[in-house]
Amino acid sequence: MASSVSSQQDHQVLVEANSSARILSLNRPKQLNALSFQMISRLLELFLAYEEDPNVKLVILKGKGRAFCAGGDVAALVRDIRGDDWRAGAKFFLKEFTLNYLMAAYSKPQVSILNGIVMGGGAGASVHGRFRVATENSVFAMPETALGLFPDVGASYFLSRLPGFFGEYVGLTGSRLDGAEMLACGLATHFVPSAKLAMLEAALCIVDSSDPVIISSIIDQYCEQPSLKEQSVYKRLDVIDRCFSQKTVEEIISALERELVHKMDVWISTTIQTLKKASPTSLKISLRSIREGRLQGVGQCLVREYRMVCHVMRGEVSKDFFEGCRAILLDKDKNPKWEPSKLELVTDSRVDRYFSKMNTEEWEDLKLPTRSKHKLPLYAIAKL
Amino acid sequence: MDRAFQRTKILTNHLLQSSPSSPAQIPSLSSNACLDYSPPELSEGYAFDIKEMRQLLDGHHVADRDWLFGMMMQSKLFNPRVRGGKVFVSPDYNQSMEQQREMTWKRIVYLLERGVFKGWLTEKGEEAEMRKFAYFEALGLFDHSIAIKLGVHFFLWGGAIQFFGTKHHHDKWLRDTENYLIKGCFAMTELGHGSNVRGIETVTTYDSNTGEFVINTPCESAQKYWIGGAANHATHTIVFSQLNINGTNQGVHAFIAQIRDAVGNVCPNIRIADCGHKIGLNGVDNGRIWFDNVRVPRENLLNSVADVSADGKYLSSIKDPDQRFAAFLAPLTAGRVNIAVSAVYQSKVGLAIAIRYALTRRAFSVKPNEPEVLLLDYPSHQRRLVPLLAKTYAMSFAANYLKMLYVKRTPQSNKTIHVVSSSFKAVFTWNNMQILQECREACGGQGLKTENRVGHLKGEHDVQSTFEGDNNILMQQVSKALFAEYVAAQKKNKAFKGLGLEHMNKPCPVIPSQLTSATLRCSQFQMDALCLRERDLLKCFVLDVSQHQAKGESKEHAFIMSYQLAEDLSRAFSDRAIFQKFVEAEATLAAGSLKDVLGMLRSLYALICIEDVAFLRYGYLSVDNAAAVRREITKVCSELRPHALALVSSFGIPDAFLSPVAFNWIDANSWSSVQH
Repeated sequence: MASSVSSQQDHQVLVEANSSARILSLNRPKQLNALSFQMISRLLELFLAYEEDPNVKLVILKGKGRAFCAGGDVAALVRDIRGDDWRAGAKFFLKEFTLNYLMAAYSKPQVSILNGIVMGGGAGASVHGRFRVATENSVFAMPETALGLFPDVGASYFLSRLPGFFGEYVGLTGSRLDGAEMLACGLATHFVPSAKLAMLEAALCIVDSSDPVIISSIIDQYCEQPSLKEQSVYKRLDVIDRCFSQKTVEEIISALERELVHKMDVWISTTIQTLKKASPTSLKISLRSIREGRLQGVGQCLVREYRMVCHVMRGEVSKDFFEGCRAILLDKDKNPKWEPSKLELVTDSRVDRYFSKMNTEEWEDLKLPTRSKHKLPLYAIAKL
Repeated sequence: MDRAFQRTKILTNHLLQSSPSSPAQIPSLSSNACLDYSPPELSEGYAFDIKEMRQLLDGHHVADRDWLFGMMMQSKLFNPRVRGGKVFVSPDYNQSMEQQREMTWKRIVYLLERGVFKGWLTEKGEEAEMRKFAYFEALGLFDHSIAIKLGVHFFLWGGAIQFFGTKHHHDKWLRDTENYLIKGCFAMTELGHGSNVRGIETVTTYDSNTGEFVINTPCESAQKYWIGGAANHATHTIVFSQLNINGTNQGVHAFIAQIRDAVGNVCPNIRIADCGHKIGLNGVDNGRIWFDNVRVPRENLLNSVADVSADGKYLSSIKDPDQRFAAFLAPLTAGRVNIAVSAVYQSKVGLAIAIRYALTRRAFSVKPNEPEVLLLDYPSHQRRLVPLLAKTYAMSFAANYLKMLYVKRTPQSNKTIHVVSSSFKAVFTWNNMQILQECREACGGQGLKTENRVGHLKGEHDVQSTFEGDNNILMQQVSKALFAEYVAAQKKNKAFKGLGLEHMNKPCPVIPSQLTSATLRCSQFQMDALCLRERDLLKCFVLDVSQHQAKGESKEHAFIMSYQLAEDLSRAFSDRAIFQKFVEAEATLAAGSLKDVLGMLRSLYALICIEDVAFLRYGYLSVDNAAAVRREITKVCSELRPHALALVSSFGIPDAFLSPVAFNWIDANSWSSVQH
C-alpha cells in the first residue's frame, strides 16, 4: 500500500487503492480543485506508476466537493509570473500538457466522474481519458478567451472534433454546458445521476478488467438518457454551424449579426456580446488553434499549444492574459482593458507569432513522453 | 518445425479466443491478435520541421486550405465514415451516377452558402487568384468530380466570359455566375473534333433582320460532346462555332446560349443527351448538345477579339485568322494550370497512403522466427516508392512556379505560359498515373478497395491526360515551340532568351568519363547532364525536320515524320525545366536539415531523369556511367528512407483525406468494425 502512504504526504490528491481500480480524488475543494503544480506532478507520477503496475486495471478520477476541477490554478501562476519569471509559468504548462498527453495516449482506461464544475484544465484532465461520466451537477466550460488565454490542455484536439462547428462556439464564447449537453456533443461518454455514483464506483472497483467494452457495459447499467432543456444551445446547431464555420472571427460576428436582421434572438445577441467582451487576441489565436487542431493528432496539438502558451506567458505580443487575470481573478472589476482593443488590430502576422517557436535560449518545444513501449488501446492509437 | 509450431499456437489462440456466442469476449481477440498495428509516428522521427516543409510545398494560403478542409470534414454532406477509430471523408462511389451527381451539387451549394466562392470571379489581383488556386486544390483532394464541376462553371464558363467577353458581358454575367444564379458550361469539343478546335463543324450565321445569331449543328459529328454540366444542371453554355458572315467563314468564335430555363427545362431548339457512366468522374453530368438553329441576341457574341456590327459586318482588329485564333484561346491556360497542379496533389495522396502503409505492413522474415520485415525496409520497395516521392517534390516546386507565372501573366509572357503549361500539364498528369499505379500495387490487395482511394484515383484522374489538350498533342506543341526558338535564334543570329534555353548560348557541357558519387550528387553536374540532352535533341530535331524539308516535304509533314525526336525533346525540355525549379526552391533555404533533405531529393530526381533510356540511346552516358547512376539511385533511396514519414507528412494532407489503409488497417478490418 505504498501509494496510500504517499497520499498522506500529498493530500491534494487522495488515493484509494483497495482493488484493481485506483480512485484518485482531487482534494482542494475550497479552490474548486484548481490544479496546482503539486497536483499535476502527483497525478503524472501516479499515472506513470499505474501504467507499469499490472495490478492496476483502471483509473477513476473525481473531485472532492462541488467541483470536479475548475481548471489550472491561474491565480497562483500569475503571482509567479508577475515576479517576472514567465518560465515558471511555462514549467507549469509543460507538466500539465505532458499529463494531458499521457491521459490521451494511456494504456489503461480512465473514468472521470464529472459531478460538478469542469473547466479549462479540468477538461484537460478528463476529456482525453476513455470514459467521462456527466451528472445533473455537471457544468462544463472553456472560459479562457475571457481571461486573455486560449483553450489549451489539448482543447484544440477535442473541441475541433465536436459535431459541426460546436467546438468553435464552445471555445470562443466560453459558453457553459450542462451534463445533457456534454453527452449530446460527445464531451461526456455517459450520463449517470449523482445518486447512483457510489454504486457505479463500487461496481467499477470489482470489474478487474481493462477492456473498454466491459467497462462501458458496467457504466451503461447506471446510465440515464437525459433530455436537453428547452433553451439548450445544442438545439441551435444549425445557426452555430452557419456562423462559427466562417473563416475569421470578424466574419463569425457579422454572420451572427446577419442572423439578427431576420429576427430578434436573445441567445444570438448574448453570444455577440460575449464575443465582443473577450480578448480580441485570444479569440483570433483560439480560432486558429482549433482549426489547426482539427487536422492534427493530439500530440501535435499539445506541442503547438505549448508554443502558444509560452508566448502568452512571456507577454511579448500581448499582455492580455495578465490583464484578464487582474480584472477577473484579482481586482475582480470585470473590466479588462485588452490591447490590441479591436479585432481588426490583431493582424495575421501578430497571430502567426503565437504559432512560431520561441526565439529565446534554453527554450525547447514540448517533448512528449514516449508511448511506443506500451501497448496502447485502439482508441488511443487513433488519436496519435 | 518451429514455424509449424508457431502457426499452430496462433491458430489455437484464435480458436480459444473467438467463440462467437459470447460477444463480450470478442474484443479481447484484438489484444491477443497475431499482428499489432503500430502507428509509424511512434517509431519514425522527424529530422526537419514538417510545418516549414509544408509551407514550402503548398507555397501559399496554408491556413485557408486548412479552413476549407475543416469545412468539409465537419459536414455530413462530405460522407464522413469512421474506420479504425478515425474519421475519413470521401464520396460514396457506390452510389449510382445520378446520386453522385446530386451529392456533388449539394456539396457545391453547401460551400457556396458558406462563402467559399466569394470573389472567385468578381475579385481581381494576385492574392485573389492564388487563394482561388489554394481552395481549388483543397477541394480536389476530396474528390475530382467536385473540382471539375466547379472548374467548368468558374474557369471555363466564367473564364470565357472574363477573357473572351467585354464589359457588358462582365457586368451581366460574372456576379450571377459567382452566386450560382446561373449555372454555366462550356461547349467546345464535338464528337468529330477535340484537339483540333479549328475543325469544329457547328456553324453560326447572322440574321441582320432580327439582329440575332443562328447557331446550328449541321451533322451528327458536330454534336457537342463531353460537355460537363450539360446533362443535368447547366442553364447556360459557351458555344464554340464557325462564324459564317455572308458566305465567308471567319473561323471559330464563342457565343453565349441559354440551354435550360430557371426551373431546369431544356430550352426550345436544344436537344441534350447524357454521355452516360464513365470510368471515373461520375459526379459530373457530362452531356451532348445539338443546336437546331438556336437564335441568340447579337450581344451574345463574346467580342474581345472580333465583333459583328448590327448590319452584319465582320470587324476584327487582328486580320490574320491564325493570330486571331491564338489570341482567342490564349487565356484558357488557367485550365491547364489547374490540371497540372491537381495531378501533383493526387500523387501526394497516393504516396502518403502507400508509404504510410509500407511503414506498418510487414512481409516475410529473413530468418525463421525473426519478425517479418517492414515493407519499406526492403531496398526494392524503397526503389519503387522513394524516387516517386522525389518526383512529386520536384513537381510541387514546378507547379508553384507555373501558378506564379500564370498569375503574373502579361501579353509578353503568353508564349512562355503556353509552352510551360502544356509541358507541365502533360508530364505531371502522366507522372500522376504512373505514381498512382505504383502506389496501388505497393498497397497490394488493400489498394483495390475503393475506400482506400489510391486505386480508385486512377480512374478518377485518367481523364487528365486527355482534357484541356491531349498530352501527346501538347508535347508536340512544346517541341514545335522549341523548334521555332531555335530557327529564330539562328536566322537573326541572336542569343537564346526565355523558356530556360539560355544554356544553349554557353559551350556544350562535358560529362566526365568516370562518374563518382560526389559528381553524381552535384547539382551543377545534374544540370549539365539535363541541358546536354535538351540541347543535343533540339539540334537533332531541327536537323531532322530540315532534312525532310530538303526532300521537298512541307514543314507540317516534316514535324509529323520526326515525331520520335519531338517526343524525346519535349521530355528533355520538361525534365530540365522542372529540375531548374527544384534547384531554385532549394536555393531559397538557409543551411539546415530542411535544405539537406531537399538536396537528397533533388539529386534523386535528377538521377532518375538521367537514368532515362535517352541518355544511352543518344550516347550521352557510357554504359559504365549509366550503371553508376543506377547504383547511386539505390544509395540515395536508402538515405531518404528514414525521412519517408516526414516527407509524406509534409504534404499537409489531413488524415481524413487519406484512407483507412494509411492508418490502423487491422482495426479498420476487425470483426467489431463489421458489426457496426
